[in-house]
Amino acid sequence: MSAQQATLELPSSVSSSASPTASSLSAQEPRARFYSNWSPRWLALPFPLFLLLLWYVAAQFEWVAPQVLPSPQSVALTFIDLVASGEMFDNLKISLLRVLLGFGVGLAGGLLLGVAMGLSPVFKDYVYPLFKAFSQVPVLGWLPLLMLLVGIDEALKIILISKAGLVPIALNTFKGIENVPARYVEVARVLKFSRWQLLTRVIFPAALPPIWNGVRYGFTHAWLALVVVELLASSEGLGYMIVFGRQLFQLDVVMAAVVVVGAVGYVLDRVLARIEIVLLGWRRSGF
Amino acid sequence: MSQAGTLDIQHLSKSYPVKDGDLAVLEDVTLTITPGEFVSIVGSSGCGKSTLLRLIVGLEEDYQGQVLLDGERIVGTSLRRGIVFQEHRLFPWLTVENNIQLGLLNADLTPGQKRLAVREHIALVGLEGFEKSYPHQLSGGMAQRVAIARALVSKPEILLLDEPFGALDALTRAYLQQELHRIWQAEGITMILVTHDVEEAIYLGDKVVVMEPRPGRIRRIVPVDLAHPRERAAVGFAEVKQQVLREFSGDSASLAEPPLRSDAVEPQEPQQWQFAI
Amino acid sequence: MARSSSYNTQDKHPVPKFLRGWILPALLLLLWWLAVKFNWSTSPLLVPVDKVWDTAVEQFRSGELAIALEASLRRDLIGFVIGVSAGLVFGVAFGLSRLFEWMIGPTFHTLKQISLFAWIPLLSVWFGLGDPAKVAFLSLAAFFPVVLNTFEGIRSVPAELVEAARVLKFNRRQWLFKLILPAASPSILAGIHLALIYAWLATLGAEYLLVSGKGIGNTMIDGRELFLMDLVIFGVIVVGFVGFALNWLAAQIERRLLAWRGRSVAQF
Repeated sequence: MSAQQATLELPSSVSSSASPTASSLSAQEPRARFYSNWSPRWLALPFPLFLLLLWYVAAQFEWVAPQVLPSPQSVALTFIDLVASGEMFDNLKISLLRVLLGFGVGLAGGLLLGVAMGLSPVFKDYVYPLFKAFSQVPVLGWLPLLMLLVGIDEALKIILISKAGLVPIALNTFKGIENVPARYVEVARVLKFSRWQLLTRVIFPAALPPIWNGVRYGFTHAWLALVVVELLASSEGLGYMIVFGRQLFQLDVVMAAVVVVGAVGYVLDRVLARIEIVLLGWRRSGF
Repeated sequence: MSQAGTLDIQHLSKSYPVKDGDLAVLEDVTLTITPGEFVSIVGSSGCGKSTLLRLIVGLEEDYQGQVLLDGERIVGTSLRRGIVFQEHRLFPWLTVENNIQLGLLNADLTPGQKRLAVREHIALVGLEGFEKSYPHQLSGGMAQRVAIARALVSKPEILLLDEPFGALDALTRAYLQQELHRIWQAEGITMILVTHDVEEAIYLGDKVVVMEPRPGRIRRIVPVDLAHPRERAAVGFAEVKQQVLREFSGDSASLAEPPLRSDAVEPQEPQQWQFAI
Repeated sequence: MARSSSYNTQDKHPVPKFLRGWILPALLLLLWWLAVKFNWSTSPLLVPVDKVWDTAVEQFRSGELAIALEASLRRDLIGFVIGVSAGLVFGVAFGLSRLFEWMIGPTFHTLKQISLFAWIPLLSVWFGLGDPAKVAFLSLAAFFPVVLNTFEGIRSVPAELVEAARVLKFNRRQWLFKLILPAASPSILAGIHLALIYAWLATLGAEYLLVSGKGIGNTMIDGRELFLMDLVIFGVIVVGFVGFALNWLAAQIERRLLAWRGRSVAQF
């Protein structure tokens, strides 16, 4: 799960943190050794540029119909248009509000549930089986049911987005608390910590890494749910823009919106990663 | 100087319930430790020495016999009995000085007095300059010194040490043995050290308690009447070492390591700090 | 025995442990049954419990369930296999070749940021509305986690083992098959497990968004459109079971293949 967050960082950060691992031995190949002397950032450019060129040429010579593959220029122009007219920003704002609200609800609920299950074995005995059963159904599985129950307006979206976030957060919080090493609890016993001191000074800090992992994972899922629900049942937002553009075969609109979806998702995840560094800066390799 | 206390262990026995019956870990251990004494306990793995320590510090309950500190029966853990584990068990999210300060969390002192005590103990273990470091930035020996400071800062009457240097390399170990000796002389508190390094036991202890396993009991108590500082190469030292090692030679099984996976001991303890409701 | 100072709190709760997990679901069912019996709501959505059971039986008997499930799972499997295979190739390439990573990595990384379902409209234009588009989407869903985890697994092969292999003069092939892949297998399997989860999620999503054809998701969509709550609930239960079964299967495979890891944290 946390491996999912281990994105491919900019090459320089991987190589700088590298101890001699398997891949460094591939540098034994003469060609690779030659390249490894060059700045990696430089190397990131050829491939995307090549793709861009291919795209341009394909559109220029209409290898495929323009409705299927708009030219890069038109996508760029459409993007500028949408931003200038404010349409992009309006839809973005709506999507952001939705995801923040939904995720907020899911975060609060997930933390509460996870803490309750972690601290009280009895509560866990009652609730965990049902929780586990519910979490077997992926977020999307609930969509038709919820549509029937609450219709297709805001409530549907918020509920779905919060459910998407709630499950991983609750699970990680619960496991995080449950797995606080007994070693630390023994230290607290010897130093005569009160129960409150134990909770705030030992359990919470020790469980924070897995909890935060759950938060990041939950956010990824919440963002995913937002996009889906906007694609399916919305009349505004980024997802709606995508669907709308698709209906009218305006793929340039679709692509512009997809780019924004990607960019925003990335930025928000980076924000969470930043917070992680602040909160968990004391962490290094293992305890 | 803190008030050292008399530790009186009388007919201490402990067993764990396992699949078919009970596994006796300690059997009829009786030992008296006078104030300010340094007692070393040696024995091979499985002789119950760690269990003995955990019973004295109050981390284990459910035993037969009694343990008296200054004539009073011990009940659970207490700031009067401190312990240093084999792993340093420092909280990774706290700095060195904050870790040490944990020892004073429930002590009856003003914040100013607490800060002073922390500073004193950092100096005592020789870690000036590292107050703001995090555990992951310290070497094993340094981290263990912080653990010792944390255990001592509340001025306990007794300090228990459960193979504190076992995870360290030989050079660091030798250095820390010296340091421990110096700290003991400076603070004057009772110390009980569990180790399977016989030389370490003799170097530091006023007496060496030799334990044998299955079930754990005291085999012999060897007094160490050597003056400090002790020379490991000296004749007197070697004689004592002979005496101690002789206790092991007759029974090679007692030196053998127990099998890696012992399904017998260590039952799964439920999380003990969670709420009932 | 003296009272301890541990935080120990005995489990004094009256209800025995094995019963506790059943109480909430039982209560919910009871509430549902009461709501139907006493007509707490006149909405057609409030279907009696046994109606769901009847629908389930009927779906099963008529073969509808089998058709829908088969269609969904078939697509899921094909997409999963394609995605995982491609993912392994890419992941190994990224892991073993710095050059590949530097050149293709950033592009991959950027594309990965795009939330999965945003791809569907584009895919629907390029591949049509039927199965090919769905399978393409599923492959994509399985692709990303496998690449990432495989890459991480290969990169984190411990240096100590690498050095041992050098001393033993492993050739290229031995290198890959006797050191790298086994050492990276925990991560790789974790990636495949994730791919399984995402592929199932994507299967459902694809059926909602690319409506043609059969599948469990389609069953639920039909149920929704015709306001057949019982059909929808039935669908939810089936989806839950499949999700559970897939997870269980993955866990079993992981356990078999990674038995060498043992119970301790130390892995070698």
